[in-house]
Amino acid sequence: MTGLIEKLRQQIVSTQVWRSIFRHGYPDTDLNRALVMFSNVILHLHPVRVKRGALKIRYTWCLGGLTFFMFIILTITGVFLMFYYVPDTRRAYNDIKDLQYVVYFGNLMRDMHRWAAHAMVFLVWLHMTRVFLTGAYKPPREFNWIVGVMLLVLTLILSWTGYLLPWDQLALWAITVGSKMAEATPVIGVSGPFGLQMGMRPDNDIRFMLLGGTVVGQSALLRFYVLHCVGLPLLAGVFMAVHFWRIRKDGFSGPL
Amino acid sequence: MSATPVGPDHDAQQRLKAQEMSRRRFFALVGWGGFLASMGGAAFGSFRFMFPEVLYEPPTVFKIGKPTDYGMGVTDTLKKERQIWVVRNEKGLYVLVAICRHLGCTPNWFQDQQRFRCPCHGSIYDIAGNVRGGPAPRTLWRAAVSLDPVDGQVVVNFIQRQDPDPKSTAEGLTVAEEGREVAPFFVKT
Repeated sequence: MTGLIEKLRQQIVSTQVWRSIFRHGYPDTDLNRALVMFSNVILHLHPVRVKRGALKIRYTWCLGGLTFFMFIILTITGVFLMFYYVPDTRRAYNDIKDLQYVVYFGNLMRDMHRWAAHAMVFLVWLHMTRVFLTGAYKPPREFNWIVGVMLLVLTLILSWTGYLLPWDQLALWAITVGSKMAEATPVIGVSGPFGLQMGMRPDNDIRFMLLGGTVVGQSALLRFYVLHCVGLPLLAGVFMAVHFWRIRKDGFSGPL
Repeated sequence: MSATPVGPDHDAQQRLKAQEMSRRRFFALVGWGGFLASMGGAAFGSFRFMFPEVLYEPPTVFKIGKPTDYGMGVTDTLKKERQIWVVRNEKGLYVLVAICRHLGCTPNWFQDQQRFRCPCHGSIYDIAGNVRGGPAPRTLWRAAVSLDPVDGQVVVNFIQRQDPDPKSTAEGLTVAEEGREVAPFFVKT
């Protein structure tokens, strides 16, 4: 019996399909360990060698990794939510209610998306605080600090655009207030400094471009939906790739 | 001074110890078990999520008014809304499903020719639904009809359909009309 299983295993392992996926032996030698890192795109994002000190949980608290983990959860649950949600002002709220009360596991999916979103915003701030307090933003890592600031802003905008999608009172007035801030942008906002002098009107300034109209309505909902589901995640993905790549190149800063 | 344990009690303990699962193996089982259970749960949840509990589709059982609303021959007015034709002959009413049996297009009714003709690949059906030309392999479906006992309206069940095996004749693929005009696919009026 064991001979048969061993023979079967040998046959599977020697097929071209198997060997094209698993290109090296079990990672129990230094060479194979390095090969695992080099030949796997996901592991390749992580440095091949990490300083012993940087592995201490009390140094990084794994905050960046946790932030990324939240992003993965948000991407997966978000795709599932997209199967039931339609960004139409007449049915968006009902679709959310359906997700909560009718769709099987819909409430779990929505709650995971919501809480992971809150957690991501929280963790990204903690991550930046840690990087600041350990001085990990200093050269040669100053470039990655700026990439991180971009990612912070993208996270906040992702959170904000997602806030509108349930299309309830909270969503509507939060975006009404938020877009008022855009209106107060200098030069390109109608109520910002030099806005009027630059010829800004409620129907041609930056808030108008953001909402696709002068009030938070159907075009605003559609714009926020597209930005939330496609535009911003793609942009964040590109910045994240650069962010992780820089960590790999610069190495962990290590304890003080 | 410690006495070396001997005797039958000690042997039994040794045997039990040999049967015991090691600590490492226990934690490996718990760990993998927990991991696989959570992955399985997530996979099942995601899979089940994709099967909606509520449908926003037109109803499959619907009323279409009184039998007296429909005159002799084919009534073409419900094709767009309900995808059916109501047909009356000397004996009563039946309902044809407006789906071509070739590849599922919607045929058109031509009053002057007394034929249903499919615009996609040219299948031709007569007023009974028999195939009179084209690639259609079977006759048109007839949907179940009944009279509502309360208001006397015709109730159509779009899902319950009559689909007898047709015979190949000189005229085309046909089904004898006698056997077809029975409940629940025919309303005598």
